[in-house]
Amino acid sequence: MPFFDGLIDYFNSYHHSKNQDAESYEELLYLVRRPYTPEMLDMIDEWMGKEKRDWREETQREVLLSLYAIRYPDTLLIESLTENAKSDIERLSAYLHFTHHTYSIYDENTRKGLSKLGIEIPKMKEMNPYGYGAYVSSIELLKDVAPFTCFLEHDVPRQRLFQAALAAYGAE
Amino acid sequence: MNDTEVVEKYPTNFEAWIQEFSEWQTRIGFDPSWLGDYRFDIKFDWDTAGNEIEFGDFSGMPKWERRMQIPQQNIRDAIINMVSVQGDTEFASVEQQNHLLASAPTEYDRKSALRIMCEEQRHGWQMAYLLCTFFGEQGVREAAKLLERNAQEGTRILGSFNEPIDHWLDFFMFTHFIDRDGKYQLKMLSTSSFKPLAASMGPMLKEESFHLGTGANGLRRVVKQGVIPCELIQKYVNKWVSTGLDLFGTDDSSSAQWAYVYGIKGRYDERESSVEADRNHLNEASRDLYFQELRDEMRRISKARKDGEPELFIPSDKFNRNIGKYAGNNYTVEGEEFGGGDEQYQEYLSTVLPTDEDEHKLVNEYMEQEWIQYREWKGK
Repeated sequence: MPFFDGLIDYFNSYHHSKNQDAESYEELLYLVRRPYTPEMLDMIDEWMGKEKRDWREETQREVLLSLYAIRYPDTLLIESLTENAKSDIERLSAYLHFTHHTYSIYDENTRKGLSKLGIEIPKMKEMNPYGYGAYVSSIELLKDVAPFTCFLEHDVPRQRLFQAALAAYGAE
Repeated sequence: MNDTEVVEKYPTNFEAWIQEFSEWQTRIGFDPSWLGDYRFDIKFDWDTAGNEIEFGDFSGMPKWERRMQIPQQNIRDAIINMVSVQGDTEFASVEQQNHLLASAPTEYDRKSALRIMCEEQRHGWQMAYLLCTFFGEQGVREAAKLLERNAQEGTRILGSFNEPIDHWLDFFMFTHFIDRDGKYQLKMLSTSSFKPLAASMGPMLKEESFHLGTGANGLRRVVKQGVIPCELIQKYVNKWVSTGLDLFGTDDSSSAQWAYVYGIKGRYDERESSVEADRNHLNEASRDLYFQELRDEMRRISKARKDGEPELFIPSDKFNRNIGKYAGNNYTVEGEEFGGGDEQYQEYLSTVLPTDEDEHKLVNEYMEQEWIQYREWKGK
């Protein structure tokens, strides 16, 4: 099915799948708010199904401060983080997503979905600010060019709508 | 993929109208500095507009792109009327709502309402642009009237757009129920035989989805917070649903039928539907889809309520109607004919619609508390 024609179905199949836990996701949109705390990052980790972060105190503080400082769609600030913080792109992108609602969560299937649409983003394990910047901008571009039939009226940021739909599309 | 055209150069007629628009903003107390870097772009999505007339008696012919291609004056008049009504609602809603910015429950809500008002004004610009650019002197006159009628004075074309929106519960009801009607109207025009009108609808519909989301999400947050009792919320639901249903117009409407014959306004599901249109009952068909959507949405909203709170529901489409076959008759919210006389019916209405006492309690008691689930503004 062409991506835009099936976008809502793709989104629903991914976002409402068991391992995505849509209800907890939507709760996090409210619970993660300033002042950001390590407990909020724990909640995001839990929703992601990630093990607890094995970070030094300074690394955690550095990431929390960067969440305040970064301005969408900038990603270059990430370059200044220590290697340990950058080592897990999914985790860091989720922190950015829930603190800003604009940055998209990085996911390998989403990257594959973009690739199916002809947008090639290099595969990343660690956070690469340039690659992630291209990933974020590509999803922003899709939002701009998508027809009105793609837009849900519900309480999910549009970046999540498109990222989740791409993840389902990429996994096909 | 859709390439949206953003118009760079405006005709003189429209430039003159923009000056009147600035005066209108001042008159209604909308400070242009609130717009920030927002621009009222004129946008067209020509790809989704289609090239051939999709329904009606001109079906299969090329869509009309200029006034002189429209074969009859009465069709031009009908298009002007549709564009004028749509534009009228856009400016009316800003007149109704802009006073609420000062009392927003959170910064998130204030910014959301402001975005909605910016986009409604852009939609009004889009309709004024169509009138000024494609319909000569007649269009310019109608564009001027968009800024002359006023919701506070009760002179807007449609009833809902003269209703006062006194507080934020009404705002969420309005964006949920009345903007949803707006979505239906825009989608019905998105298949129009007049191509610039059809091409205007895609970008407008994209923006409208945020408005509906603000309403639905706002109501869900109110219900979830549990400070305002569902029994009281239900009264506001009852009030706004009947208003929303009335916006679809009369039953057996001949003007809807003519609009269909001319191909200028289709059914809500025109492109998706596989059945022939019942031209005698076009308004009813779209209203039925809207009504079903309201019921589905209310089930989602009601799920958020606290234990022990009654379920919220959409009242019968017969209740409290001023337009259509049920208008003027006394029905209960369940859709049963009311057994008593008119005086008793007025007493009944005070139990199912908001009273002055309810309004007072809502604003001075419940809204003095944390009445809506907090949401942080994440923007710049």
